[in-house]
Amino acid sequence: MFDYRTFALRKLVSIAPRYLPFADVATDDVPLSRLLRLSLFQITVGMAVVLLVGTLNRVMIVELNVPASLVALMLALPLLFAPLRMLVGYKSDTHVSALGLRRVPYIWKGTLYQFGGFAIMPFALLVLSGYGEAVDAPRWMGLSSAALAFLLVGAGVHMVQTVGLALATDLVREEDQPKVVGLMYVMLLVGMVVSALVFGALLADYTPGRLIQVIQGAAVVTVTLNLAALWKQEARSRARAQQMQITPRVPFETACRAFVRQPGKMRLLAVIALGTFGFGAADVLLEPYGGQALGFTVAETTKLTALLAGGTLIGFGIASRVLGKGGQPARLGLIGALIGIPGFAGIILSSMGGGALMFLLGTIATGLGAGLFGHATLTATIRSAASDQIGLALGTWGAVQATSAGIGVALAGVVRDIIVALPDQGAMPAHVPYNAVFLIEMVFLALACAILVPLVRKNRRGHVPIPDTTQRPATGLPNNPAEAS
Amino acid sequence: MSDDPDKVWPTGLNLHEAEEVHSYLIDGTRVFGAIALIAHMLVAASTPWLG
Repeated sequence: MFDYRTFALRKLVSIAPRYLPFADVATDDVPLSRLLRLSLFQITVGMAVVLLVGTLNRVMIVELNVPASLVALMLALPLLFAPLRMLVGYKSDTHVSALGLRRVPYIWKGTLYQFGGFAIMPFALLVLSGYGEAVDAPRWMGLSSAALAFLLVGAGVHMVQTVGLALATDLVREEDQPKVVGLMYVMLLVGMVVSALVFGALLADYTPGRLIQVIQGAAVVTVTLNLAALWKQEARSRARAQQMQITPRVPFETACRAFVRQPGKMRLLAVIALGTFGFGAADVLLEPYGGQALGFTVAETTKLTALLAGGTLIGFGIASRVLGKGGQPARLGLIGALIGIPGFAGIILSSMGGGALMFLLGTIATGLGAGLFGHATLTATIRSAASDQIGLALGTWGAVQATSAGIGVALAGVVRDIIVALPDQGAMPAHVPYNAVFLIEMVFLALACAILVPLVRKNRRGHVPIPDTTQRPATGLPNNPAEAS
Repeated sequence: MSDDPDKVWPTGLNLHEAEEVHSYLIDGTRVFGAIALIAHMLVAASTPWLG
């Protein structure tokens, strides 16, 4: 007689490992297709950012009639979690798991929060705006649920991005890290551009039902892409699990203090803060500036954003190439910031008689500088991190970067509004408030340069060329396993 | 590995590993449950379906 039980169990055992989300063995060589798959998590991050900052920003104010100040407050909530990236990164570094996993549990948790936030967000927004019977609902209900939704999405995005980048860094060899950083940045940009177009098309004729569909669709896409990204990426390892059990635990504060005290670390963080702040506000102000000061139409200003993104893409490409050949990140970051300064100068001059061509050139230059700068500083962060502190290093990078970008965007709006609201503004041209913000950005970029210059000088003086990163041809050749470790 | 007394048959995981996999399932169920509960309450507030 046929033994069904044994047959089923044997089948189950033989297929089970294929359907588990963990890799069976850690390989030295990670193919590009696997890295591409991993970088899908950046697409969901970009999608979440666009949905919050771009799409919902408009929908809440225009279609749902929520007061603008309340919208700004809600959208600022996810920023509160940015400093917690350090803690998330540290926890993923020191995670104790019987399966030997460090990063995947946190990416999964972050995905859950991101999904949960999106799942309740449309209903929270509808209740907040008093849709249907919700007019009678108590006010705290809409407020607290909307705040919860934004907090969940923010926490999820921060967790997924920090730990996802740490996992990507774990997977590749040191000389390939610039390529991975470039790939991650490009995917973030792709996610933002594509989802902005898709959301815009889907919400062109707004109905409450459509809002629910779009946001919950984003939730489903988030889970799908993130699951696809982390599937079989991190190896299950009993040896590592045993090591995790016996490794002494360093308290968070001690680890942070030791991390920040490394030579050049504070300098690098200051540069990241200043530079990100300097480049950050350009994205939000370029479109209204083109429209109000230069008289561009809406379709033309949308193309501006594409131009900025194109410049940034070129920047990522150049940075990946140069750094992959063993270039100095600090020097490239300096070049990026130096390109950004004349870029902003061109944007300012365009409204003072420079004309549209100067504006376009300035926009491309700013995008290029931002791409070079972003790539170089992230690569510098990864390169300077010890292998057991990658999570903490990337968490610190993310905390500094996200906080200063958020403050930059917020401050740009505030400064513009303050100058517009100045009492005596009878004859003030439309470009003055924008140019004031652009001028501030130039100052911050100059400060970043001032901090970077001594760093580059020191590197050049004490620079010992590393033979294996500079001489080795690109990927494709079998690598020496002794070097890979 | 095969003489590990903690081994859970037929997955080949040992007890701690199996418990960890299970904990992800439990955590996920809790989070999804809480999210679904909140979402249902919010929908009920805007478009009531119970009386």
